[in-house]
Amino acid sequence: MYLATREMMRAKVRYGLLMAAIGLLVFLILFQQTLQSGLLDAFVGAVRSQSAPVLVFSVDGRRNFQGSVVTPPLEASIRRVDGVGRAGQIGVRNLPARAGGKLTQVALIGYEVEGLGSPGRLTAGRLPAATDEVVASDANRGDGFDIGQKVRIEPGGRELEVVGLAPDAQLLVTPTLYGSYDTLTEAVRAFNPSATDRPLSSAIGVGPAAGFAPSELASRINAANADADALTATDAAAATPGVFQVRQSFQIILLLYALVVPFVTGLFFLIITFQKANALTLLRAVGAPRCRLATALLVQVALVMLGGIALGTLLYAPLASQRLGGLVFHFQAGAVLFWSVLLLSLGLLSALLSVRRVLAIDPVGATTGAGVAR
Amino acid sequence: MNHGRRDTPHTPDDQGTAADSHTALRLEAVRKVYRLGDDDVVALHHADLRVGADEIVALVGPSGSGKTTLCSIAGAILSPTAGRVVVGEQDITEFGESELSRVRRESVGFVFQAVNLVPFLTARENLLVIDELGSRNRSAARARADQLLDELGLADRASNLPSQLSGGQRQRVAIGRALMNEPSLVLFDEPTSALDTQLGEKVMELIRHEMKARGTAAVIVTHDERMTHYADRVVHITDGVLAA
Amino acid sequence: MRLALQEMRRRPGRFVTATAILTLIALLLLFLGGLLDGLIGSATSAISGQTGDVITFSSTSQSSLPSSRVGGAVRSEIAGVPGVERVGGLGVTQVGARVPGRSERDLVDVALFGYELPPAGLGVPPDRAKAYADTSLRAKGVAAGGTILLGPARTPITIAGFVDGLRYGGQGTLWASPETWRVVQAANRPDAASAVDVFQAFVVRGDGSVRAAELARRIDDATRGSTSSRTTAAAADAQPGVEQQRSTFNQIIGATVGVAIVVVALFFALLIVERTALYGVLKAIGARSRTLFGGVVTQAIVVSLLASAIGALLALVAALTVPAGSIPFSLSPARVLGTVALLVLAAILGCSFSLRRVLRIDPASAIGTAS
Repeated sequence: MYLATREMMRAKVRYGLLMAAIGLLVFLILFQQTLQSGLLDAFVGAVRSQSAPVLVFSVDGRRNFQGSVVTPPLEASIRRVDGVGRAGQIGVRNLPARAGGKLTQVALIGYEVEGLGSPGRLTAGRLPAATDEVVASDANRGDGFDIGQKVRIEPGGRELEVVGLAPDAQLLVTPTLYGSYDTLTEAVRAFNPSATDRPLSSAIGVGPAAGFAPSELASRINAANADADALTATDAAAATPGVFQVRQSFQIILLLYALVVPFVTGLFFLIITFQKANALTLLRAVGAPRCRLATALLVQVALVMLGGIALGTLLYAPLASQRLGGLVFHFQAGAVLFWSVLLLSLGLLSALLSVRRVLAIDPVGATTGAGVAR
Repeated sequence: MNHGRRDTPHTPDDQGTAADSHTALRLEAVRKVYRLGDDDVVALHHADLRVGADEIVALVGPSGSGKTTLCSIAGAILSPTAGRVVVGEQDITEFGESELSRVRRESVGFVFQAVNLVPFLTARENLLVIDELGSRNRSAARARADQLLDELGLADRASNLPSQLSGGQRQRVAIGRALMNEPSLVLFDEPTSALDTQLGEKVMELIRHEMKARGTAAVIVTHDERMTHYADRVVHITDGVLAA
Repeated sequence: MRLALQEMRRRPGRFVTATAILTLIALLLLFLGGLLDGLIGSATSAISGQTGDVITFSSTSQSSLPSSRVGGAVRSEIAGVPGVERVGGLGVTQVGARVPGRSERDLVDVALFGYELPPAGLGVPPDRAKAYADTSLRAKGVAAGGTILLGPARTPITIAGFVDGLRYGGQGTLWASPETWRVVQAANRPDAASAVDVFQAFVVRGDGSVRAAELARRIDDATRGSTSSRTTAAAADAQPGVEQQRSTFNQIIGATVGVAIVVVALFFALLIVERTALYGVLKAIGARSRTLFGGVVTQAIVVSLLASAIGALLALVAALTVPAGSIPFSLSPARVLGTVALLVLAAILGCSFSLRRVLRIDPASAIGTAS
């Protein structure tokens, strides 16, 4: 330990640069991990956190609210399936709206039955009680969607007052409003006067009857009707188009970053070992055991890795509580722990080549100069 | 390469000028002071030295006597604190760093204690480095390198890397490199310190032969009195003071 | 410089690891860039592929087609603007398609466009109930001459041919006449149905007398602010999420370039420490610091170019092996060249940290030392 830390103190710039490189990489990895979670939350948070245990789309809807249209005959056939306890229409429309003085897109989710498509949880306020009241996604409260504020659907001019806030409730990275199905009907009619009477529902929220598990109920509904696509809320979120691609792309990116870390560490310590072959030969000649020198090297690797991880986490921590556009980030302690252990192990593994070099040093070299040869 | 100076008569007390073609090096009242913390350390006290155009001078002194400082000033690596330095026909006393670099490239040759060849270049390429650094005439440089290697008995070793050469051969490559720029003065820094007596004498013979054959002046820094009889003149240095 | 190159030739071993790391970084940069281009391309190429100069949306739509509605009155106003040559309606409906050969539940996402002014690669709209398909739909089993069924109403559409590089919202597109679009929309999304003269946007072609941005301004003036017109490129960039994606990816790319700079800095700092004695000797025999540092920069450039070349090759292989429709990855020559330039710049910047170290090496160190 003495040898290892002494040397590091003497060459602060060198070890500092390596620590900075690793810190930057750790930061990038953690940031992108958080970005992925934030992106998925903003993408399908509303699907995951709404209250219906089972969502039934039309097969044509390709498992997303915006694309799915459940026709009355399909709805009727769903309601008839054995095991369906409660069922209620859920309608989702993307509409332009003015909030906080700014024009933006909102996803308006209308639910027929409370507990089937309404927000699963509220962080503040209450559920809507009138057709001009809505619950908004908590992530957008600062953009004119806080309790008491009014959101105006444009064109049409229908005004909706925010009476509650729901966490993790965004849909396709747009602010989300939850209201009754009548709220949705009135807003759509205001926006598009040529629309037919009542907007068709995007999905049917279903609660299983006693004795039925949600996944079992989903299978039953699918078996009963070829046009129905029933999924549990969690499955529906994972199956939303784009979610798989986002996950896969981020996995490739994270894998590449994770590979860069051991390469950089390995290279650094290999060069360092090469440079100090002289000193190491001398230490061996004056009686330092091989394992002592190898341990000193590994201690250095561990210290540099831990320093880098700490630096990366420090850089990441303030960013992890920020918002980026419509995305909300959270500090992910689990990710920090996972990557710390993985990168530390990879770093130590990468130093094995240098360790082999250290173990191969012959103390005789100190007397002949052979060990010092370039 | 014969510079036509071979038969120039050498007169030790010749009062040369900056343009004196009979003198390869002239140091006049040269003084060098280093600042070490709060103290001034005088490495060289009013040194006067004149080296004739084809003269070989041995500079002998113990460690810390100021040999290295004197050699560095003579070789245009260091500037003196006071005094005057003339190399060949140039007064370099007031030269800045880039001008000193040019003097080293064009007028002075060095053979270092540890030989110090570029490890990844062949013998021939080690000679051509001089041309590379000065970006001069490629084909003339190649011809000169081949001629020098031939004269130094290294023609068949031209494409060997330093690691494939013996100690003596490396020394010869280093001498070849020092002669590439047709210098008026070659500085040898402890050329025999790493060699046994027999090889040391061979190397000294070689140096004398090569220098005399070319009419090139040499200053050989050494602490080995046994080697001094190869020089025309021996100058002793102790605690920064020169004594003939 | 020759000295630097000779060292790389004679001692390639010491540059291998640095090259490998930079290759990984080049691959990362290319992958990130290709993903960004792929994502944006798959979301907006149907917009950027429009041959008009300006696209006019309704003022509240934020350039989102499904949220935009523009009618016949607006069309007449646009046609009357000086500098306008032609006006064409554009509308889109996103539906699931049943493609022959796929199972009943395995639908293909498509965006059916109704158009009047043909986008790049297309001619006049095909007959009723026919559409041109984007080539990306081939991988999903869509074939020329075949009939696919759109939406819950199973509206049949026959594929008249293929067109390349027009994607929208991550989906493959179909290009049909406005009448066909209206039929599909009314049958499958009745609440979004549009009257005969209503479109989601107008594509406007100028007569060349004014710049596109000026034309857009004139149109919005003529409609008294009821429209929001943008140049075609700006309209593509204004699609939801494009700006956020671009800035997020560019920040990640920037930070990755930062890592490249630190890696190069570290590598050359170590290499120069190792070469201190050699540089001392070279300086003693007359080498200028400039020459020595030039050699370092040359080596950095060569290493980064080599790494870029291998990285580009690997990225190309990846691009060819990525199954169609899995990851939106698109590698353009401009992206590759841009990445190479970034990496070379990072290499030069990185090794510049060693400039002071090279300048500080004292030629006097070569004299009076045994090693």
